[in-house]
Amino acid sequence: MTDNLATQTIIYDLASSPNFADSPLCFAAGNTGLLRSQDGGRTWSDALTSLNLSEALPIASVVISPAFATDKTVIAGTSGGILRSGDGGDTWQIVEFPSPPPFITSLAISPNYERDGVIFAGTLEDGVFVSRDRGYLWNTWNFGLLVLNVLALAVSPAFAEDETIYAAVESGIFRSTNGGRAWREIPFDLDHAPVISLALSPQFAEDGVVMAGTEQHGLFKSENGGQAWEHLNSADIIGSVDAILLSSEFPFKPDLLALTGGEVLISNDGAATWRPWPGAITIDEPLTAVLAPTGLDENAPLLGAIMNQGVKII
Amino acid sequence: MRRTNRSNFRRVVFQPRTWQGMHRGAMQIVEAVTPTLGPAPRFVAFSPENVGREPDLYDNGGEIARRILQIRGRDEDVGAMLIRDLLWRLQNQVGDGTATAAVLFGAVYTEGVRYLTAGGNSRRLQTHLDAGIEVILDQLTAMTQTLTGKEKLAQLAESISYDPELSRYMGEIFDIIGAHGRLEIRKGRSRAIERDYVEGMYWERGLMSRKMIADPERNRTLYGNAHILISDLEIQHPQELLPVLEMALRNDVKSLIIIAGKLSDAAIGFLLANNKSDDFHVVAVTTPEYGKDPQAAALQDMAALTGGKPFLKAPGDTFNKVQVEDLGQARRVWADLRNFGIVGGKGEPKALRRHIHDIQKAYAHIDDPVPKEKLLKRLGKMMGGSATLWVGADTEMDMERRVELAKRTASAMRLAMEEGVLPGAGIALLECRQTLRERLAGAEETDERAAYEILIKATEAPIRTIITNAGYDASDVMADLRLAGPGHGLDIVQGKIVNIQESGIYDPAGVVKAALFGAVKTAALALTVDVVVHHAQPEQAKPLGPTARMKL
Repeated sequence: MTDNLATQTIIYDLASSPNFADSPLCFAAGNTGLLRSQDGGRTWSDALTSLNLSEALPIASVVISPAFATDKTVIAGTSGGILRSGDGGDTWQIVEFPSPPPFITSLAISPNYERDGVIFAGTLEDGVFVSRDRGYLWNTWNFGLLVLNVLALAVSPAFAEDETIYAAVESGIFRSTNGGRAWREIPFDLDHAPVISLALSPQFAEDGVVMAGTEQHGLFKSENGGQAWEHLNSADIIGSVDAILLSSEFPFKPDLLALTGGEVLISNDGAATWRPWPGAITIDEPLTAVLAPTGLDENAPLLGAIMNQGVKII
Repeated sequence: MRRTNRSNFRRVVFQPRTWQGMHRGAMQIVEAVTPTLGPAPRFVAFSPENVGREPDLYDNGGEIARRILQIRGRDEDVGAMLIRDLLWRLQNQVGDGTATAAVLFGAVYTEGVRYLTAGGNSRRLQTHLDAGIEVILDQLTAMTQTLTGKEKLAQLAESISYDPELSRYMGEIFDIIGAHGRLEIRKGRSRAIERDYVEGMYWERGLMSRKMIADPERNRTLYGNAHILISDLEIQHPQELLPVLEMALRNDVKSLIIIAGKLSDAAIGFLLANNKSDDFHVVAVTTPEYGKDPQAAALQDMAALTGGKPFLKAPGDTFNKVQVEDLGQARRVWADLRNFGIVGGKGEPKALRRHIHDIQKAYAHIDDPVPKEKLLKRLGKMMGGSATLWVGADTEMDMERRVELAKRTASAMRLAMEEGVLPGAGIALLECRQTLRERLAGAEETDERAAYEILIKATEAPIRTIITNAGYDASDVMADLRLAGPGHGLDIVQGKIVNIQESGIYDPAGVVKAALFGAVKTAALALTVDVVVHHAQPEQAKPLGPTARMKL
């Protein structure tokens, strides 16, 4: 299968293998299903053929295990449950959630997954489901999560120690500091909600940096885990921020990338100034998802999902 | 000529009898409460009213003060009632800290009387004591830290309750429900402690008919993606429900829960008759809460949670013009014969957040414990879940005592989570002495110097009492603490000097501050009393019957 398959698809999410340089596997979740590329995004094929589906299954989110090299685990969120693969996407197991079926909007996997087996699934109406057994059993645990329409999730890179996870919702942001057992609202300005994207600094345990992208009011930054927020005013980022990617060396190398209004912008100075991602300048259609499998270096591949044009290396 | 009734004569008491009498009386209460301070408290026994019954045992300063309605000696009684009022108020407002307050009060009042007897000025002393309170409160604020995580919260619970098993559960529960979460504490079903969690929001009123139970095995009804008609209306005739059902069917509503003040048997029968279709389900539950205001508040909360519009009997609402937009919606609604609950209300998220903020703001600004408690209950309901703790024990009496202990611990933990914690075992107050000494060194007036000297002595009194109550020599231990350095205290349970914070020994900051504030303010005020005027024939406190005692 080639790019043509993707041309009828709106891609919502992208995920790649953690050892992308050696094993260039990636997945694209979209309204017509789940696509897989085994050559770093050059060609794509239907990842769900083994399920023999009679109709397209919309997939909104996909994550790959941090220990993919050994466990080959891929999790995809769909309406009513999740799909789980233990062989890199060759075969899939459907794990249904309780009725009424929730729509999975976002997935987040523990960086310590190899040991704790924890995965979070944000849903459109049922809050956050948590699996603590690698995706087989799922339970909701929404104590304190007052708004159950979850639009994005972000897990602390130091989850094994701090058990911290953030959930972006229509009215702001909630945080759990006990592995998702209970949630507390954090003081994000109600007038700037909904929040639709989140990113945590790789040094989150030390610097407490949280980035929040909103639907209409641009980008916000907190340097204390979300207790106070700074509106990163920029003429370039004024509307929706659908995705935020931080450099793996952030904040020492303060590069970050934002998908905003269908465009990809890069900042090399911690969001003070922005410029278009060079490879995306010639793209006419809006982008719907981005992924930097090997980091934000401009020479590194950036996968961009383009509306009705599939996924391209940009 | 006007005749004088002898009973109208008043007896006027002047100094030094005022201080002497009031001090004797106040110290009787202080000394009655003092043995209860610390992790190794001793009990205070109240002799039974009826011969042959066992005495009532208390280790809670607030309860002890509450039970002492009058003491012998009328001058003494004035002093005693001043501190009784302080302790009972403190018990009601923060649920703990009464023994600390009694000890602080005793130290300030005793030293104050001594100073005034030697010629000090009571008004100026009061002014400087008030200023000293602020110095201590600022110092305590600087020491305050927040606690998170079930292990730390369990340590906090143990610092309050000294009950390790109960504390483990308290740590887990408060880690989940947070400072304002809903926690029901009930007598256990066995000797063990157990806990249940319920997701979503629920109220203590249920289905109007047993025939409305859809799942007989679980004895309840559960609807997914349900619509909710919120009201307190009382429905007599089935016809009054007809517009609701017609509207629901027109709008393809699959499951409807009608919340109403009352439905007549005929109206219930009408709903049951319409509940047989596979395409449409309808049940009715009773409007929660009792009384106009609590009911209105519950309906408002439901409306914010589900996005529905309440229909109220007070302004004359009826169901005649109910529109589908007026119905609340929820992802799941469940009901049994005693309760009904909502999970995933579909109210407008921003409006819901504003509604909760309004309740939180009101809660933070109200001091009166009764409305504050009601607001806390509402907040707890809105927080998306609740917990029930079943407190077991070996005997009925132990169970009652443990339930009360759990309730006190829960109140103090809420305060600790709202306002932070301080190093426990009396260390936080002790460490304020350095700042007080600096203020003393800079004080110019005699009364100001006296105030700081009194406060330095007073802030040492709680730790000395804790040590003494545990059976140690306070002077010896205080000497060891000086050698160990700042932050060290006596871990009574282990019987050794430890770094208090590293050992997880905490006191809720709100409790310590409230005890300090109340005690010093009351003592300073008591010191300004120069004259006592007694009724010629005071009313005697009569033994109270069980009903009156319950009301206290």
